[in-house]
Amino acid sequence: MQLFRDLYQYRELLKSNVKKEIRGKYKGSFLGVLWSFINPLLQVLVYAIVFPWIMKDTVDNFLFFLVVGIIPWTFFITVMNQGVATVKSNAGIVKKVYFPREILPISVVVSGLVNFMISTIIIVIFALATGAGLSWHIVFLPIIMILQFLLSLGLVFALSAINVYIQDTEYIVSFILSMMFYGTPILYDASQFSGSQIGWIFKVNPLAMIIDEYRAIFYYHQVPDLTMMAILAVICITVCIIGYFIFKKLEKGFAEEI
Amino acid sequence: MHSENAIEVRNLYKDFKLTYDKPNTLKERIVNIGKSNTVRKTILKDISLDIKKGETVALVGVNGSGKSTLLKLMTKILYPNAGTLETQGKLTSLLELGAGFHPDFTGRENIYFNAAIFGLTRKEIDLRIDDIIAFAELGDFIDNPIRTYSSGMYMRLAFSIAINVDAEILLLDEILAVGDQHFQDKCYNHLKKLKKTGKTIVIVTHSLDVVKDICDRAVWIYKGELRLDGDPHYVISEYLTQLALDHKQELEKQIESGEAKVKGSVFLDAPTAFTKIQKGHGIAIQGWALSNAPEYKLVLTVDGKEYNDFTYEEREDVLRAFQDEYLGFVDPKKVGFKLIVEAEDLPRDVEEIKVEATLFDHKNNILSSKDVMVLQVAKGEQDATV
Repeated sequence: MQLFRDLYQYRELLKSNVKKEIRGKYKGSFLGVLWSFINPLLQVLVYAIVFPWIMKDTVDNFLFFLVVGIIPWTFFITVMNQGVATVKSNAGIVKKVYFPREILPISVVVSGLVNFMISTIIIVIFALATGAGLSWHIVFLPIIMILQFLLSLGLVFALSAINVYIQDTEYIVSFILSMMFYGTPILYDASQFSGSQIGWIFKVNPLAMIIDEYRAIFYYHQVPDLTMMAILAVICITVCIIGYFIFKKLEKGFAEEI
Repeated sequence: MHSENAIEVRNLYKDFKLTYDKPNTLKERIVNIGKSNTVRKTILKDISLDIKKGETVALVGVNGSGKSTLLKLMTKILYPNAGTLETQGKLTSLLELGAGFHPDFTGRENIYFNAAIFGLTRKEIDLRIDDIIAFAELGDFIDNPIRTYSSGMYMRLAFSIAINVDAEILLLDEILAVGDQHFQDKCYNHLKKLKKTGKTIVIVTHSLDVVKDICDRAVWIYKGELRLDGDPHYVISEYLTQLALDHKQELEKQIESGEAKVKGSVFLDAPTAFTKIQKGHGIAIQGWALSNAPEYKLVLTVDGKEYNDFTYEEREDVLRAFQDEYLGFVDPKKVGFKLIVEAEDLPRDVEEIKVEATLFDHKNNILSSKDVMVLQVAKGEQDATV
């Protein structure tokens, strides 16, 4: 409860920090914030051109298939990359001013969520433009979003705190993320590997489940797998709580260790 | 926690890990497994302290004594290894000016950022922003990016935000030493005003005059321990005595090991060079001499003739100027010297008289010397006589 009371008292700091995370990264560039939307689009463009050449048979409407995978993935990867370093890159204020340290990871993940919510407009535009259309199933979208938010938040809590003590965390995380890109059904459908030796990866990778759920509601126009959703909810909430406790445990040494 | 206390410290210990070459990467950690290259150093030992609401307290002590660490513990940036530290009431600290400023944003935007770090909401900042800008004396500059500010403007803005946060407890670390005299005075006046409204203020400072002027109490931290706590005048006087003693020991050690040299300084305030005196008048000699030698001797000569009957006097101005170098070595009552040379002792036939002051150490080496020429002129031309 202390957490929520602190967050309420320091809401202005949270707000301005979120704003800074969103705007600050691209400050000074000509297109500014637009870059956070152009980047995933360019990625989609590259894969949409290259992949049909490599893989003979891609799924129908591959362009939209890609968009539905890449945009949530971009949310995840930007939040992770920014999040792991967040305590370190704010060393200046962490050492000199008291404020609830949780603000730092939370504002990174919230800013990612805001970006992602805006990006869903892109998904909608592609849904309409490619003829895939929209169905009532998108009412599940907020739930999946929240689950992804909690998962990212838990990871960022833990990793940003550990990164203060072991600086390698940043590099290890960035390696794992680039591996994860291939271990998550973004460029392909997980069903293509069902029964193969690496099929287990999609069962233990919560992000794979999340992407599957997005695909279900946007691409396949289905009710998402509710059992999977329940499992996912348990995983995400657990990760979030454990991450928070790791952060609380380590935060007392931040000013000394940075 | 007692309700009349703003800050309560009980048996507090704080260690720092000192690492010779901090292994930060995984590789270094693996390579160094089993090898411990860290040493724990105790910075604060068994500190117990109560600061009552509405008190203005100064923490004094030399660099590295642990007073800033104590302030950081009060701010909750650091946490004690043992013991407790509790605070009561909204707390603001100013450990470094402009921590959290963004150079690319304007002064106004930075007020919002910075005040938000102190836990203010937008509405609260809106109410205070005019006061903040007015106190910082920034005028139109407030809407320029702060990277264009001079360091003085930067500091004024930072200070102005911190004191307008309206905290019940204000912690300040050695920040009033910067800025021009005008702004410093303004800050002190504001602190006095805050003090009158019942705020609790804790200051870490080296400017002892400030401590005497605005603090009700001084707490002296000596080598991580609480040495003395009480009236500022008394605490400071004890502190200075100890400081002089430590300084002397330290320097003596250095002199012995050859790291530091014995040195001294001598100066003649009067007569000034080429002063004209009328024939038949004497010369008044005044000056000062200091040295860190265990023993030293001052020799005054006028036209080659040695005089030993000079009188000593106190020279606070000189002591203050040289306190870093000669503190603890000199007898404050024997810094200045005075000598009057009567007319009959002066040679009548020379036009130029050399007045010389030389300082010798215990081994009869010259530490320092100073000489001036005095011109003897006929009646009517003189401009300085006794």
